[in-house]
Amino acid sequence: MMHDQGKRLAKVYPEAAVNELGAEPTLDREIQARIGDKLRAMYDELLEQPVPDRFTDLLDRLGQGGKE
Amino acid sequence: MPPEPALRDALLAAVPSLRAFAISLSGQVDRADDLVQDTLLRALAHIDHFERGTNLNAWLFTILRNLFHSEYRKRRREVEDPDGSYAGRLRVHPEQGARLDFEDFRTALAKLPHDQREALLLVGASGFSYEEAAAICGCAVGTIKSRVNRARSRLAGLLAVDDAEDLGPDRMTRAALQAIG
Repeated sequence: MMHDQGKRLAKVYPEAAVNELGAEPTLDREIQARIGDKLRAMYDELLEQPVPDRFTDLLDRLGQGGKE
Repeated sequence: MPPEPALRDALLAAVPSLRAFAISLSGQVDRADDLVQDTLLRALAHIDHFERGTNLNAWLFTILRNLFHSEYRKRRREVEDPDGSYAGRLRVHPEQGARLDFEDFRTALAKLPHDQREALLLVGASGFSYEEAAAICGCAVGTIKSRVNRARSRLAGLLAVDDAEDLGPDRMTRAALQAIG
């Protein structure tokens, strides 16, 4: 199983093994970008949730001047 | 007092982003919805304080954030270890078929100090500028920048651990192996 993982990684990063210096900042930026993507993806999921009726009801009720 | 139709529509349009912020901030959907409702009521009661033509969303976020913090401080006096209970709640919350990687992310987010989480959510997710986020939080722009930076590197550290784990056998297998000994 670990063998397969290694092969897959080698395929994705053919030059990873020989790429010595300078790899770290690149990885860092990559991680930062991925964090940003994940944060927005998580947030988008929340944004796409339908607005609960209580909010439309509330605003409509107040809109009719029916103040409790 | 009754909102004119344009204002009603603008408030309704702001609800999804207010909810997303409140849910991410509090870690609880019910509490978040209460916060959003209180925010709308307060906004309507103080609508004369709102300067027409300025950013309505930023104004609403400011109200919500202040409500959250006064409630947070109140709870803190009542209950010890508010951060611990927050982390617990946030992990319980994933509903609506939230995927596992989001759950990992939420768990990591829950481990951030709340001022860092708040800054990151405003700038990195809600799309506010550093300046707007600073106005919302009532602090200096530099403070927001450093909070966002610290939040990002903390998250990178927390999630890097997860990535290393992902390279091995999947978690279920590993957990099973560990259980066997």
